[in-house]
Amino acid sequence: METLKTAGLKKYYGENKNLVKALDGVDLSIKQGEFIAIVGKSGSGKSTLLHMLGGLDRLTDGVVEIDGTDIFKLKDDELTIFRRRKIGFVFQAYNLVPVLNVYENITLPIALDGNKVDKAYVDEIFKTLGIEDKKFKMPNQLSGGQQQRVAIGRALATKPSIILADEPTGNLDSKTSLDVMGLIKVSSHRFNQTVVMITHNEEIAQMADRVIRIEDGKIFGGDICG
Amino acid sequence: MGDEAMSYLNYIFLGIAIISLLYTTWRNIKIKKTLKKIDDMLDLATTCKLSQERFDESMLSKVESKFNRYLLGLASSEINLHQQKKNIEVLVSDISHQIKTPIANISLYSELLIENPSEEYINQIIFQTEKLKFLIQSLVKTSRLENGIIKLIPSNNNINVIIESIIKSTEYKAKDKDKNIKIVYREEGEHMAFFDPKWTEEAIYNIVDNSIKYSRDNGEIRIIVTEYPLFIRIDIIDNGIGISEDEMTKIFKRFYRSERVSAIEGVGIGLYLAREIIQGENGYIKVESQVGKGSTFSIFLPKDYK
Repeated sequence: METLKTAGLKKYYGENKNLVKALDGVDLSIKQGEFIAIVGKSGSGKSTLLHMLGGLDRLTDGVVEIDGTDIFKLKDDELTIFRRRKIGFVFQAYNLVPVLNVYENITLPIALDGNKVDKAYVDEIFKTLGIEDKKFKMPNQLSGGQQQRVAIGRALATKPSIILADEPTGNLDSKTSLDVMGLIKVSSHRFNQTVVMITHNEEIAQMADRVIRIEDGKIFGGDICG
Repeated sequence: MGDEAMSYLNYIFLGIAIISLLYTTWRNIKIKKTLKKIDDMLDLATTCKLSQERFDESMLSKVESKFNRYLLGLASSEINLHQQKKNIEVLVSDISHQIKTPIANISLYSELLIENPSEEYINQIIFQTEKLKFLIQSLVKTSRLENGIIKLIPSNNNINVIIESIIKSTEYKAKDKDKNIKIVYREEGEHMAFFDPKWTEEAIYNIVDNSIKYSRDNGEIRIIVTEYPLFIRIDIIDNGIGISEDEMTKIFKRFYRSERVSAIEGVGIGLYLAREIIQGENGYIKVESQVGKGSTFSIFLPKDYK
């Protein structure tokens, strides 16, 4: 079953002579439960691609479907709610809310949607990510690796259809990177979570079930359909 | 005066009655609309075309989202069941195929043996029987693991002990005939992790055994243990034939065997079993490889109970 599908995805910046084709016709198909790495050099268009997949930016042409919903047919405020319910984001800079403690950060997206916290599930997230003893710490009391683990927990909390991770280990040293990646890998397997991650690190990409290579806004390597 | 007050009151009552009537009608229409929407959702769901198109902060939109998720889960578990059924069919045909060849060979050599008693035929029969035995053992192991008859019971253990035991039990294979493969492992301190010792030994053994099989003569296999804050990493590095990129995920599939190694004995179950075991312990395996240069299998085991 396809969780995410794109067809003829294009994103152009500028006009005429200054036209930059950041994405130039990307067709992707990602099945439920897959762990995908998108690899490319800087400037290859991989970040643009992830932003399009998450509906963080409007595209020039093409279709992005998540769970059968064409996300660019939604109005801005609808898209916001869609993202909150269906997509989990993990960014390079963690983006935790500094005035909330770890527990509040992780349960924030659940609270935003006005839902009750599934305590057993959240406890399992804490356990899997090894941050049980950090529940009441503030983000600034944690190391980079620990902060990113909290961000992963936050992404998992709403049981989204897909988790999009943008260089999740970009700010971490190589040892911590492998640890954090390991936790993403183990938790995605455990919670049967679909993950799309972009990285320029080959070693990290090797952990994925499937590697998609992107260059000059086009996919040029790896299996497109698994 | 009294009459006037009465008629005022009448008007008020009449007003209230009209307002409440209008309100009820309005509520009814609204409830009907909501029910109609839910009804439409169900209709769409039965045709498997449910996709949410409107998102807002209303209760209905929330219900729709949850319903959507529930139905998607249902659909995907149905697909999974179908896939599992197909897998079992493929498995049965694979197994019968795997068993057919050695049995045919045994029967052939037995007949030849009757006609012409020769030691070569006896050796062939022994060899084919061993192959069958190995195949059946592997199958029993995987099926027990998959059906949950065998539970992985991780506890805090020393990984060095496991590695040394594996080196001992693989040494005769490595030193076999012309192969002469060196296994290098330098123990540096104690490395503790959370795993089931018996099954983890099986998993790592399978990987080392695999490396020996696909190493070139006079090759070298290095085993390196690295500590990370959360995981223990065990690298098994060989300078053998390597794996091409498009095969890297396939090698962990049951009964997958690369065409390039069809000359080497094997059933394609070792790596599958290894990955099942390691994943069951909340660890993972990754591979790095270059064709012609060699492969590195990295096993990550958690240091803490998860």
